[in-house]
Amino acid sequence: MEYIVDNIKSQMRKGLLEYCILLILNKKEAYASSIIEELKQANMIVVEGTLYPLLIRQKNQGLLNYRWEESTQGPPRKYYMITDKGRSLISEMDLAWQEIVSTIETIRK
Amino acid sequence: MKKVVNVGIGGRTFVLEEDAYVKMESYLSSFKSKINMGFQENEVMDDLEMRIADLFEAKLGSRNEVVTLQMVEEIISRLGMPDGSSPFEKDGETSSSPSSSAENKGPRKFYRDYDNRAIAGVCSGLAQYLNIDVVLVRILFVVLTLLGSAGIWVYIILWIVAPKAVTAAQKCEMRGWPVTAENIRRTSQSQSRK
Repeated sequence: MEYIVDNIKSQMRKGLLEYCILLILNKKEAYASSIIEELKQANMIVVEGTLYPLLIRQKNQGLLNYRWEESTQGPPRKYYMITDKGRSLISEMDLAWQEIVSTIETIRK
Repeated sequence: MKKVVNVGIGGRTFVLEEDAYVKMESYLSSFKSKINMGFQENEVMDDLEMRIADLFEAKLGSRNEVVTLQMVEEIISRLGMPDGSSPFEKDGETSSSPSSSAENKGPRKFYRDYDNRAIAGVCSGLAQYLNIDVVLVRILFVVLTLLGSAGIWVYIILWIVAPKAVTAAQKCEMRGWPVTAENIRRTSQSQSRK
């Protein structure tokens, strides 16, 4: 039983992960490590490895962008920010999410 | 006492214990094989290496210590795989191709040992295959040649029939070693020593 629940939960998270990344970057620009931190606290990801391919894919889709930020120690790091295209995707996703929630509510009645 | 390996990860250098290095290498290659993003893979791997370097640094602090197998395993379980699957599922087996899984005990295959050749590497390949001294094989061929040219014909036929050991995997098979990341590294080391 528990296994089935975990499986469904992880599928749900997977579908929402890209939306979540955009939401986080919509609040403020961030390093990959702080995005990971926030997603971990929200229980959205278990392992970090899932995030890196997503960031690159979203960048190539033009949803987000990054610039190299010099750091006091070590090499420069990528500092991610959302693009206008990413913002308009968020508003569409907001609608889609509300739709899903209300659909579930309707079905549950 | 352990051997250590110097590596560059994410633009920084680290000293890894040998077993930690082997683990890290097989993790990185299996991570890469699971991304499935074509030309973008390298960018993902750069980001991943960057993160690994950060985690190594956080673990080591300012101490000038080596990275141990335990640290590597901790980091691997933290990073996981791009598809969220467990990185330890096929532990140790990941580096050997499925076709060679039946040869894991490592039966020898006959290749020409081109790295140690006198003419075409037939004798040294045969010596590897039979696990005897190459000098004995060469003397045998010379004697056979002197006694009525049979040696030359056998040599030419073997030259044509036997493939040259080119890839690291073939060189492992020639020596009867299982094709693992560590053995592949051993073959390239024994080659660079010459």
